[in-house]
Amino acid sequence: MTASRGSRFRRVEGEAMGSGGGTDDLQLGSPEPIASGLPTPGHRTSDPVGTADRLRAETSRRIAEALAGAPSPGAVGDVYVGWVAARDAASCPARYRGEGERGWGFPGWSPPLAAGACGRAALAHHVAVDDRAGRPPTLPMPLDAIRIWMRALRTLGEPGDGGTPSVERSGVGEWICEVWDAGDSATLAAVAALAGRWVAGFVRVLGWPLPPRLTLLNAPGPAAVSALRWRPDKGSPVTVASGADARLGRVTGAGGFTLVVHRVTTGDDGALRDRAAFEAATAALAIGVVPGSVLVTAGDTGERVTVPVDDDLLVLGADRIVAVVAQRVVAVERGFDPTDATPSGACRHCDHLADCPPGQAWMRVAERWRGGLPVL
Amino acid sequence: MVEGLGDVLAKPPQPPSPAGISALRTGLDGAARAALAVGGWSHDEPLRLSKHLVTGLLRCPRRALSDDLGTGDDLVVGWVVDAAAKLATVSPRRHVTVDAAVAFLTALGDSTVAEHLADLGPAAERLTSDAAARIDRLAASLAGVDAGWGPRVEDPARVALAGGAVTVAGRIDILLGGPPTGRPGVIVEVKGGRWHDGMRADGHLYALMVALRDGEVPASAVTIVSDGTTHVEHIRPALLEHAAERLDEAMRVAARLAAGEPPAMLPGAHCGHCPVRPDCPVGRAWRPAGEAAGSAP
Repeated sequence: MTASRGSRFRRVEGEAMGSGGGTDDLQLGSPEPIASGLPTPGHRTSDPVGTADRLRAETSRRIAEALAGAPSPGAVGDVYVGWVAARDAASCPARYRGEGERGWGFPGWSPPLAAGACGRAALAHHVAVDDRAGRPPTLPMPLDAIRIWMRALRTLGEPGDGGTPSVERSGVGEWICEVWDAGDSATLAAVAALAGRWVAGFVRVLGWPLPPRLTLLNAPGPAAVSALRWRPDKGSPVTVASGADARLGRVTGAGGFTLVVHRVTTGDDGALRDRAAFEAATAALAIGVVPGSVLVTAGDTGERVTVPVDDDLLVLGADRIVAVVAQRVVAVERGFDPTDATPSGACRHCDHLADCPPGQAWMRVAERWRGGLPVL
Repeated sequence: MVEGLGDVLAKPPQPPSPAGISALRTGLDGAARAALAVGGWSHDEPLRLSKHLVTGLLRCPRRALSDDLGTGDDLVVGWVVDAAAKLATVSPRRHVTVDAAVAFLTALGDSTVAEHLADLGPAAERLTSDAAARIDRLAASLAGVDAGWGPRVEDPARVALAGGAVTVAGRIDILLGGPPTGRPGVIVEVKGGRWHDGMRADGHLYALMVALRDGEVPASAVTIVSDGTTHVEHIRPALLEHAAERLDEAMRVAARLAAGEPPAMLPGAHCGHCPVRPDCPVGRAWRPAGEAAGSAP
């Protein structure tokens, strides 16, 4: 069955599903060993801390410049810069501006949106349970791991046997408890199906036991690191958020660690290099140290691609971040405006198609084709 | 004795050696590049093949190119049965009903079935009764899967060929075992209709795609049909080669169509429920074996 039938959910910031073409200009197709996860020394930034400092200063300056173009302070509102916003603002600025507050904000959890967050949380819990028990890592069975994590969420605060680690209720954990309390078993089953798929793909592509020195990111609990976020300054309305799933290696001033970005599917998202650039820049901003590389994995193809982080990649990532802020500023006075519309396959589902001559022109051709074949 | 899923899991066969996978990928990539030279696709505008499209291009290109086939009752029953099988896998201790399957689909973000049933009103009763009977037959076939097989549903597999200008993508209904479980992979395809031999090809194609994705060949493809049929096929190198040949031929057909060649009209049993039959002289003339050709239906 396809997900295109009557889909109720849209992709939003923070979603850990699908994120890359998988076969753009990079050489793919031969999974490489990731035992160490460390990048080739020749690709490393020579001064990971100094470079991150300069990136912070430069990005802060550019964001401040962009915000200064707003008609009044506060007119822009809060700006959340995640990968999906960065991709959307770059792929069609007109469409991104036209989404408005409803499209820019968090729409609330749903099974498709929660899949990555629940998958990471469940895997982190599984690892923590093994760690607490002092036993070698046991392979997580995807659906079981999700169920066990959900049950642990439910027993939070109840007297236990002391054998299992505490489970931190992240935002998604709170939502799961609410769904459980409401008796919505269909939603719980849907979460289990989708989050289980995330766990299965992550473990299959990275291997089990997980590579040495791998730490889950954007997940709660003792076996993980919580959200990587950065704000240009305390009063800034801008929050930049990483969508990376894990980190390989310790963060030291020498850099050398690798970010892991896992994509369940690769079919309908931006280019792999763009994703790597965004995550590299975001991590450098949030951590204060430039990562050595970004390992982008794909559950559907089984690919593992290491993208070394260099100055060009960081500049590309910072450009993507600043572009989101710039478009939000423009949107204060000019929402959807087809003058800078960039037609693509997204036009098929765009709410602004009726008001967009470039999109309509593109669709007149596209409607006669589907998946590379003529439609009769 | 007819083999079922339980028999396969109790005593799984040894999967074929992965030695031939690389050659299969190389061969398919060459075929995709040859097709690309004719079809003119690109990484940004690729040929997107699915199991349905591969079968459709080989069975009748004219029908494969027809526009959206809509949402008929048969399709809806199939989607309900398919969802029920996945729900039974996700929640093995639960008795799966039609309502539960529809709610599961809706929770996944697909409201098509719920809307179709609502539109039917009281007339939906016949459809849901039919679906319930099929679900009951399926549930028995799926019961008792040991957790050690690490069951997962809608497991995505995608093969990118010719630098991404040709892609083959699908979601395996239920996947058991395979890396890194240490057990052989077992593909389970769920079909909501009645068994026919053409269903085997889907299992073969998915076995090929999983082999290319994982670097290990699955041991078996099991097709569980809601008419009570379970078809077990242990994967042999010849089956993978056959699947690759079908894919190769589908790419050739697609290339000619993309280049502007009129689609061939190939009559067969599929004509009976083909939406373009009224405009297809070959289809109108086709009759099932034993039935004399006469006036158009």
